Amino acid sequence: MTFLGLSARNAMRNRFRTTLTVFGVAIAVLAFIMLRTVVWAYNIGVESAAPDRIVTRHKVTFVMWLPKRYIDTVRQEPGVKMATWASWFGGKDPKHEQEFFSTLAVDAETYFDVYNDCAVKPAELAAFKENRRGAIVGDAIAKKMNWKVGDRIALKSQIFPGDWEFAISGIYTATRKSVDRSTFLFHWNYLNEGMPSSTKDKIGWIVTKVSDPARTADMSLAIDRKFDDRDTQTLSQSEGAFNAGFLGMFTAVLKAIDIVSIIIMLIMMLILGNTIAMGARERTQEYGALRAIGFLPRHLAVFVLGESFTIGVLGGIVGLALSYPIVQLGMGRFLEENMGSFFPYFRISGGNALLAVALAVGMSLVAAGIPAWSVTRLRVVDALRRVA
Amino acid sequence: MNQAYRADVRPMVRVRGLSKIYERGGEQLKVLSGLDLDLAEGTFEALMGPSGSGKSTLLNIIAGLDRPSAGSVEVKGEDISHLSEGALAAWRSRTLGFIFQSYNLMPVLTALENVELPLLLTSLGGAERRKRAETALRIVGLEQRMGHYPRQLSGGQEQRVAIARAIVNDPAIIVADEPTGDLDRQSADDILTLLEKLASEMNKTILMVTHDPVAAERAKVRHRLDKGALIT
Amino acid sequence: MIPFRYNIRSLLARKATTAATALGIALVVFVLATVLMASAGIDKTLGSSGRADNAVVLRKGSDAELNSNIDAASVGLILAAPGAKLNDKGAPVGVGEVVVVLALEKIGDPGFTNVLLRGVPDDALAFRSGARVTSGRSPKPGSDEALIGKRLQGRFKGFQVGQSFELRKNRQVSVVGIFEDDGSSFESEVWADIDTVRSGLGREGLVSSVRVRLESASKFEAFKGSVESDKNLGFEVMREPEFLEKQASGLRIFVTALGGVLAVFASVGAMIGAMITMYGSIASRQREIGTLRALGFPRWQILLAFMLECALLSVCGGTVGALAATGLRFGSFSMVNFTSWSEMVFTFQPTISVIATSLIAALAMGILGGFLPAIRAARVSPIQAMR
Repeated sequence: MTFLGLSARNAMRNRFRTTLTVFGVAIAVLAFIMLRTVVWAYNIGVESAAPDRIVTRHKVTFVMWLPKRYIDTVRQEPGVKMATWASWFGGKDPKHEQEFFSTLAVDAETYFDVYNDCAVKPAELAAFKENRRGAIVGDAIAKKMNWKVGDRIALKSQIFPGDWEFAISGIYTATRKSVDRSTFLFHWNYLNEGMPSSTKDKIGWIVTKVSDPARTADMSLAIDRKFDDRDTQTLSQSEGAFNAGFLGMFTAVLKAIDIVSIIIMLIMMLILGNTIAMGARERTQEYGALRAIGFLPRHLAVFVLGESFTIGVLGGIVGLALSYPIVQLGMGRFLEENMGSFFPYFRISGGNALLAVALAVGMSLVAAGIPAWSVTRLRVVDALRRVA
Repeated sequence: MNQAYRADVRPMVRVRGLSKIYERGGEQLKVLSGLDLDLAEGTFEALMGPSGSGKSTLLNIIAGLDRPSAGSVEVKGEDISHLSEGALAAWRSRTLGFIFQSYNLMPVLTALENVELPLLLTSLGGAERRKRAETALRIVGLEQRMGHYPRQLSGGQEQRVAIARAIVNDPAIIVADEPTGDLDRQSADDILTLLEKLASEMNKTILMVTHDPVAAERAKVRHRLDKGALIT
Repeated sequence: MIPFRYNIRSLLARKATTAATALGIALVVFVLATVLMASAGIDKTLGSSGRADNAVVLRKGSDAELNSNIDAASVGLILAAPGAKLNDKGAPVGVGEVVVVLALEKIGDPGFTNVLLRGVPDDALAFRSGARVTSGRSPKPGSDEALIGKRLQGRFKGFQVGQSFELRKNRQVSVVGIFEDDGSSFESEVWADIDTVRSGLGREGLVSSVRVRLESASKFEAFKGSVESDKNLGFEVMREPEFLEKQASGLRIFVTALGGVLAVFASVGAMIGAMITMYGSIASRQREIGTLRALGFPRWQILLAFMLECALLSVCGGTVGALAATGLRFGSFSMVNFTSWSEMVFTFQPTISVIATSLIAALAMGILGGFLPAIRAARVSPIQAMR
């Protein structure tokens, strides 16, 4: 028997109340993990962006295109290993209007060389390059829409009028967490052929792979300088910075989520503190007896803190055990399948799991602060006289 | 001095001029007024008196739970009325055993663990603590009930566990506040017999507060308290 | 009947516990009210500013103005359709506008943030009845001058009267005024001359949308039928409120989903808190409850009394939380509008229904949280009074 052992047993004294409290803590831990995972999954695009890729787009607005000939200029820049381009198509499946997935018109020859984190079987890639109307789709969206190699798909575009027909040549899988597994990729040539002369030979953005990842910042500036005197200026950023810019638009939301996750922990602390205080109050006489037989106020404080600690640890563990099936398997799978463009990789990170449990335990000690302090202030004579 | 003392027995507890005044709502309440009391080593003494006579206050002061307003309390020649809170607690754990009316056992601990509890404050190792706790339980005759939880024991058995807890650190003095108050006559008899035995065989000084004349009858010496003063 | 005073006094007797529980509920209600206020703010900005007698014409399938391209030559055709209101000079009332997104430097934030730029004809202000310039002046027609929506003022580099921002290299647009429009989403836009925007950003000969004032709201179907009849042109006509509703739906779903998840989790937490408190309170009042029973109070009255006590506790907490949340009404939050990918600024709107919903939620938490403990209390036997 030890001090901590005694505290743990005290926690089990009112089993019903302890169970409720553990459940309350577990709910808070679950909500905390859920919210933190949203923020984390959002940021994964920045954290696991390819270090050697630069995205070059229209300086003023993403609505505007770049002339296709810019790609040649970029390719001549020393330090550029290879470059490819893509255009936003804004496609939708007319039969499933609500499903959102990215559709990009890409250079079939070079796209998968630059995006080597999208893995396609060599035979499928070769078939894609051969077929002008071929398309390669992410495994997540293929599964969701039940698309198979060989399927014929008709899409509508929010930007380009008309019906666009494709044949699925292959399916790509991701080898990097930040890769959206629900993109629909097809030949830019096919799109370009359908364009009227005024919008022919325009591309959305250029993606460059540089030989030296350490020089992405310099290279970005060098590329932009090339176009400084042309009609259309460019804005080049490393993939990480590009993603960060996109995420930057959501900072207010992310901040709000952070604040709320803290509020939830505070609510947890109040519940826990209340439980501990009630337990301590009911045991006043017992604590008086302990003081009488020689225990010091700090021993009593240890009992109270230990009891809270026990509940905190239990709640943390239960919360974590609930989080994995709910957040990881339920929510995570749903979001990866349905909102893959925003959440390509929605999993609980070890750091967040640890943080949640550490916070639950830490806050359990803080929560027990006031009850612990008040038991140290007990006058033994009063405590003994009080009938709980 | 209203009582004669045997010169051959050194007093274990020596109370002189003890006063206790409480303040309640601006009013002064004199609970004890300048009383003297000696407790001899190895005797079982009872403290009697009606409710509000100050007997519990006197017990608490002797036990170092409360402080006198005036006067001194010497135990084994040491004046405890000036010790700090921490020193008093340490002193209690060394010199004092407590027995309460409502036993005050930890419901989450077994009989053995309850007895072991005060030893947590010592530097004894786990095995030694256990051995001593077992010995104490054997003395009170509960060696068969070591693994039982308080709720599995009768009231008399619970009080015997509490007595074992009081003697486990081998204190010089045992204070008991209405130890038989919650018990039936038979169990109360057993407890009183046990207390007698502790005094006579183990040389414990026992001070028992009670308002039960039958219980007090078993003590070797009886003190009577009324309105804050000793009358016998 | 057990007097209500009894419950109030019982709560006051356990001050710390009561306060901790009420504070927990206050926090939950605070979060809930904030989410509701944000949602109401989005509604106010995106949902309520349209006029039923305005029609919005886009290219079919484009959903948002940003994606829509209409030949400038078609604008006349659209305005000539039956149902369009004519002004006193006999010309149809309507505006063809071009919408683009600019990447600009936000003050106090690194990197670029998208801002919606609307190229407007001269009568754009007149077309919108609520729009007016609040400081500075209107731009001169055909000049490189711009108005800044009230909510964007000072948020981006150059967004103050007398300053300027870059439309493209070597083409500065000067800010000459600030405008407001009854809190609508236009207040998060920049307005410049339509030809300036077209030539500056290569949108010559195009508009994004055409807004048409109808003779009356009832003329909509006729107008829609006529404009959509030519399948080759491929237009889509919507009532303005309906169009704005569609723009808001993504954001509203987002805020509601996030808020809903939070509200559920936090409420469960607070309810557990209330339950623990009530169970604790009842456990220590066994004798008291037993006495009430012994005095002849029936079980249902005890049940009611305890539920009332918990409800009272929750409503007190809820009131504190809701009041605290209304303090946010002076603040604003910016978010990306999913349909335009540009930043929009919203305010928190503490409407009556927000406050009412928050308090009802608090009451519900109290009643639900208090129910099981109250049952426990009602089952206390009169014999408990004797112990």
